[in-house]
Amino acid sequence: MAQKKNANPGNPPRADLAEIERILAFMTERGLEEVEYQRGDFRVRLKRQTASGVLQAVPLVSQAPSRQPSVPNPGPVAEAAASARASAAPFAAPAENLHTVKSPIVGTFYAAPAPDAPPFVKVGDSVKQGQILCIVEAMKLMNEIEADQSGEIVGVLVESGQPVEYGQPLFSLRPSGG
Amino acid sequence: MFRKILIANRGEIALRIICACKELGIATVAVYSEADRNALHVRFADEAVCIGPARAADSYLNIPQVISAAEITNVDAIHPGYGFLAENANFAEVCEASHITFLGPSPEVIRLMGEKDRARREAAAAGLPIIPGTDGVVADEHAALRQAKEIGYPLMIKATAGGGGRGMRIVRSPAEIVASFRSARHEAEQAFGVPDVYMEKYIEHPRHIEFQVLGDRHGRVLHLGERECSIQRRHQKLIEEAPSPAVSPEMREAMGARVAAALEKIGYSGAGTVEFLCDVHDEFYFIEMNTRIQVEHPVTESFTGVDLIKAQIRLAAGEKLADVVPAVFFRGHSIECRVNAEDPETFAPSPGRITAFHFPGGHGVRVDTAMYSDAVVPPYYDSLIAKLIVHASDRAEAIARMRRALEMFVIEGVKTTIPLHRRIMDDAQFQKGDLHTGFLDHLLESSAP
Repeated sequence: MAQKKNANPGNPPRADLAEIERILAFMTERGLEEVEYQRGDFRVRLKRQTASGVLQAVPLVSQAPSRQPSVPNPGPVAEAAASARASAAPFAAPAENLHTVKSPIVGTFYAAPAPDAPPFVKVGDSVKQGQILCIVEAMKLMNEIEADQSGEIVGVLVESGQPVEYGQPLFSLRPSGG
Repeated sequence: MFRKILIANRGEIALRIICACKELGIATVAVYSEADRNALHVRFADEAVCIGPARAADSYLNIPQVISAAEITNVDAIHPGYGFLAENANFAEVCEASHITFLGPSPEVIRLMGEKDRARREAAAAGLPIIPGTDGVVADEHAALRQAKEIGYPLMIKATAGGGGRGMRIVRSPAEIVASFRSARHEAEQAFGVPDVYMEKYIEHPRHIEFQVLGDRHGRVLHLGERECSIQRRHQKLIEEAPSPAVSPEMREAMGARVAAALEKIGYSGAGTVEFLCDVHDEFYFIEMNTRIQVEHPVTESFTGVDLIKAQIRLAAGEKLADVVPAVFFRGHSIECRVNAEDPETFAPSPGRITAFHFPGGHGVRVDTAMYSDAVVPPYYDSLIAKLIVHASDRAEAIARMRRALEMFVIEGVKTTIPLHRRIMDDAQFQKGDLHTGFLDHLLESSAP
């Protein structure tokens, strides 16, 4: 891998918040506790304290970035997120009450039934168990993903057009009732 | 050449394929079940997609999930490894329909070789010797009695839709035929969903000798010599070697040439293995063909110096056989021991966390494994955790090297078959090369308390 010297050794590289948010979301999805990430001159280590569920970001100033990136294979999710350059999916902090709706299949996530239609659900909506939350397209088939519990949508964890894998968190939901 | 390949498998073979892809500059995608989140093939692939929960049927055997993973990662080809979907003609067809190259022969050839009685007939038509037997499925009990009389006893009843020893019965006399026919059909239906069976002459104390082949997409097939795989338990191979102690260079060339010619006639492409039984008179009888890369492929890699997985990929990409394998040389002697996570005496599976893992090295020693210290051997898949392969200048040296390597292979936390392999290496009959498919049963029986 080509070694790039830091052009301005005196100035630390600017932290990219959107990028850090994407890394945080990736860590939570994968259940990772510590990640060291480098892209060009930008290098950061994030360490999760699983007891409290709090993520700490420890930016590292790198003098001569020359190490191989050590993110354990980013996978299609992070790759798509990195190349999409859209605002990162909002990170839903794990709290005791929230239920995560996960994808039961591999495919491409779509928030709405059609490109120009409004999304099935948005943050703040109340949904009933069995209600359609999104579509995951697999092998040209549009699979409707249903809510497995009733409650309020507090987070949409993926973006339309994003590839998703089995078990990938799609929605964060505050369950209602008993 | 392919840009990116998805490996539809797990464990040591997934890692093996990733190695070949890395050397060819091809990007890799691993698929994994939730039980394999920390597996090495996931770590070393360029991308990884979780495709389901632990159960194989819901993950590694789940065709829509695997294809979907291939689509979202935009791969050119899928390597199915061995087992799982490797010989699933339907899967090969779905790959084709999705415009993804399946790294194996065509669905038609997979299907042909997958139906054992059809494979037998095609092999015979293509010029290979076969065991005398029924020409197709045995229709009913009357047919079974009649055809058994023609073939002669002892004979074997076998399921047409599967292998691995299931739906098989040995019948030694007319008195047993009807009951065995019924129970074989029942077991075949349970194991493969199809009760159909065929019958063939049973050859006592045969050697299991198989030929490795490679075919390109331009109609050429060549052989890379044989492997002796007689050391089996319940039709599962434990130790393989090349060359076979019973095969002379002349026999190798003669049968190898017949195999290559037969497969060119059939239109075979990719890697494959043609399996024979060899009797005490050095007569070969075709039993079946495996249209995939096999577990024991490293034995042939050591024996010939050819990287079979890289060859498989290059041939599937359209390269000519003459360019991929310009010449085949046979040198020295190679032995492989399959290290399974099983009790070495009862063969009960022994999943769990590996607490110490140190594998041997040195000249002429190769270990293919996806295990490491602190890894968990899951209970959901087969018990193979490592392959130990040695190569040496002759069989005696290979055995000495294998004994040494087995002694220095440390695996703690789970039970393994290493002690059994060490016993076999010390066995006088094994050292003489006096092998047949009953060898291991005999060894185990002779030591039973």
